[in-house]
Amino acid sequence: MEKIVDTRGLACPEPVILTKKALEEAKEVLVIADNDEAVENIRRLANKMGCAIAVAREEGGVFRIRLTRSGEAPTYEGTDIGIVCGTAKDRGAPLVIVLSSDRLGRGNDELGEVLMRSFVHTLLTLEPRPAKIILYNTGVRLASRESALIDDLKQLEAAGVELFVCGTCVNYFELKGKLGAGIVSNMYDIAAAMTGAGKLVIP
Amino acid sequence: MNGGGPWEVVLFQSVHHALRAEKLLKAADIPCKLIPVPRHLSSDCGVCLRLDPSFRSRIEKVLTGQVEIGAIHPL
Repeated sequence: MEKIVDTRGLACPEPVILTKKALEEAKEVLVIADNDEAVENIRRLANKMGCAIAVAREEGGVFRIRLTRSGEAPTYEGTDIGIVCGTAKDRGAPLVIVLSSDRLGRGNDELGEVLMRSFVHTLLTLEPRPAKIILYNTGVRLASRESALIDDLKQLEAAGVELFVCGTCVNYFELKGKLGAGIVSNMYDIAAAMTGAGKLVIP
Repeated sequence: MNGGGPWEVVLFQSVHHALRAEKLLKAADIPCKLIPVPRHLSSDCGVCLRLDPSFRSRIEKVLTGQVEIGAIHPL
């Protein structure tokens, strides 16, 4: 049975909290919301709980959000849904991620490659999404057409993430003309992006 | 191969099993993608293979006797 949650007129974070409660009781939930913020928070919640989500915008700025929980009761516990209230979110302080190697962590190379593939794939679902991703040193290999995670990088670019690829590194590894994503950049752009970051993540 | 779907994910006993399966499937020209195990399936930091369900029988044929499959879930 579909559960209907009408969140119109409620202030953040009430809509997302009511949605979470409803999803714990029913597999199918229809949420009616009246603002983008609620929709974004519910989207994050759906991601965390592994729910399918379909958002339809109707006249008068009303959203009908259909959530379908697959499988058993949600395994996602805890209060950290990543709720964002207040619209001044991170605009002036962009999240920048630097991939300075084609592997995540040091130790085992094969494992490091697997971890990097997982990490980049996960960036697609991350909120807030990074504003920029910078690739340098062996990290530039991730953007080559043959890279195992080129589809994920392309999708991040399509979603508005700027992908800077270090030109010196492309030259060094003879990858010119072999890139499948990203903008070849110089150290001025890269250094400016790094020093201008609100948060800099170098995994 | 990020567009499209619906997908299903194949879970394995270990990262090594998953990597071996990926190699075998790539060699057999079956498109697949190594992704982190979705949160709602397991909280472990594991990897699984994401595939198009229409390849199910071919996948089973390629992996039978080579790599043990753990479980298959819709994504």
